[in-house]
Amino acid sequence: MNKLLLILFLPIMLVRAQSDKVIARQGQVSFFSYTSVEHIKAQNNQVLSVVDLSSNEIAVRMLMNAFVFEKALMRDHFNESYIESDIYPEGIFEGKILDFDSAVSDSQTRLIKGVFSMHGVQQELEIKTKIEQQNDTFILSGTFQVLVQDYNINIPPLLAGNIAKTITVDFRFEYEPYEN
Amino acid sequence: MAISSLAQAQDLLDILEKEGSDTPKYTTATFKFSRISFGHSVETRKNGTLDVFVATRFWNTPADRSQSFFAERLSSRIALEYGISDRLLIGFGGTTFDGRFDGFLKYKLLRQREDEQGAGFSMSLLQNASYFSEGLASNGFDATASNRTSFTTQLLIAKKFSRRLSLQLAPTFVHRGLVYQESDAQSHFALGVGGRFRLGSHVFLVSEYYYVANPIESVDTFGPFSIGVNWELSDVMLQFMVTNAVSMVEDAFITDTRNNFNFKAPNLNFGFHFTYTFHLKKAVKIPDQ
Repeated sequence: MNKLLLILFLPIMLVRAQSDKVIARQGQVSFFSYTSVEHIKAQNNQVLSVVDLSSNEIAVRMLMNAFVFEKALMRDHFNESYIESDIYPEGIFEGKILDFDSAVSDSQTRLIKGVFSMHGVQQELEIKTKIEQQNDTFILSGTFQVLVQDYNINIPPLLAGNIAKTITVDFRFEYEPYEN
Repeated sequence: MAISSLAQAQDLLDILEKEGSDTPKYTTATFKFSRISFGHSVETRKNGTLDVFVATRFWNTPADRSQSFFAERLSSRIALEYGISDRLLIGFGGTTFDGRFDGFLKYKLLRQREDEQGAGFSMSLLQNASYFSEGLASNGFDATASNRTSFTTQLLIAKKFSRRLSLQLAPTFVHRGLVYQESDAQSHFALGVGGRFRLGSHVFLVSEYYYVANPIESVDTFGPFSIGVNWELSDVMLQFMVTNAVSMVEDAFITDTRNNFNFKAPNLNFGFHFTYTFHLKKAVKIPDQ
């Protein structure tokens, strides 16, 4: 019986051993801009991310035009006038989870250090991230802040009061084993 | 070590590139508003948005002396326009100067796609009806309600060529309610051309012209022309233009513009449109942090 089980599970274990990458296909990234004039919220539920558990490298790719806003017209303005998604269609983060041990099953908080490219600008980011593990699933979540001015985004003076100088970004990725 | 780690990161990005969803990429914002300048653009509005649309024309009479403040004549069209869905726009308006009340439906039939598949252009269908409510000086007219109602059907075909340039063709059919003389046609065919050119991230140069294939014979009419600037500020759209079209309703300005475009009074109209957009529905509900 034990042998039978081993034979049954061996291929699965081999696959697990081969592919130490995990992927999140429906990662969530939201951002918030709060000013006294206006609150702006946007969310993207189709963010892709992959983590290589052997090297702790992480990559994130999001399409800027997949952000939806509470006010529908803002999506047009965001893409057309601010983030210029026709020229810069995606935001990409490449980095490394520092001191991360995927064998630890408890919840852990780690720093992710890397470079975020958006709107043609590359910025180094350090993001405090909570990592939880349930069975095969890793969940990465956290919050960080970015400065609008760091990304060369042009805001007309008349609307400067409507858009916060600091944007809060929330993210949550649920990873599952990646199979080629 | 550094090189291998770089290669590793590239691998991860390659994976994400491969995973990139196959959802079609539609071209957004061929125009930024439901109008180019005075005429309809291919764009509809998003579901749940209500545009409060105030359009005005200012012009002078040819009189040598004038005691009017700013301009001799003023006409405004005040309208409410609501996005029933992302593809269907409905609007109602009334114009002060020529007493026209109008309503329209615009449906987006085709959306241009960016990814070299599907349609290379956008297409919308506009149906407008307008009621002419002014008293008629001559009693030669059979001015029943049905005769006072005109209809305009437009096929709006537009292409966004680049982020700077969008162009539109508008084959148009106008059925006029009132005809001045029996020799005049009641149905007219026209072709509109219009476009926008981006000047800045929020400012666009816009222009439009309508050619009428079989114009009214009993009076001289000219194709309406406009050139102006659209300036979009968050929930507000401001449009400034100079034009020879006095009316702001399709059937009237397309077939019945009585002056050609030049800088003499009363031909030159200064047009100012102000639109405030209310979002009556949230497109999505995003929880607070």
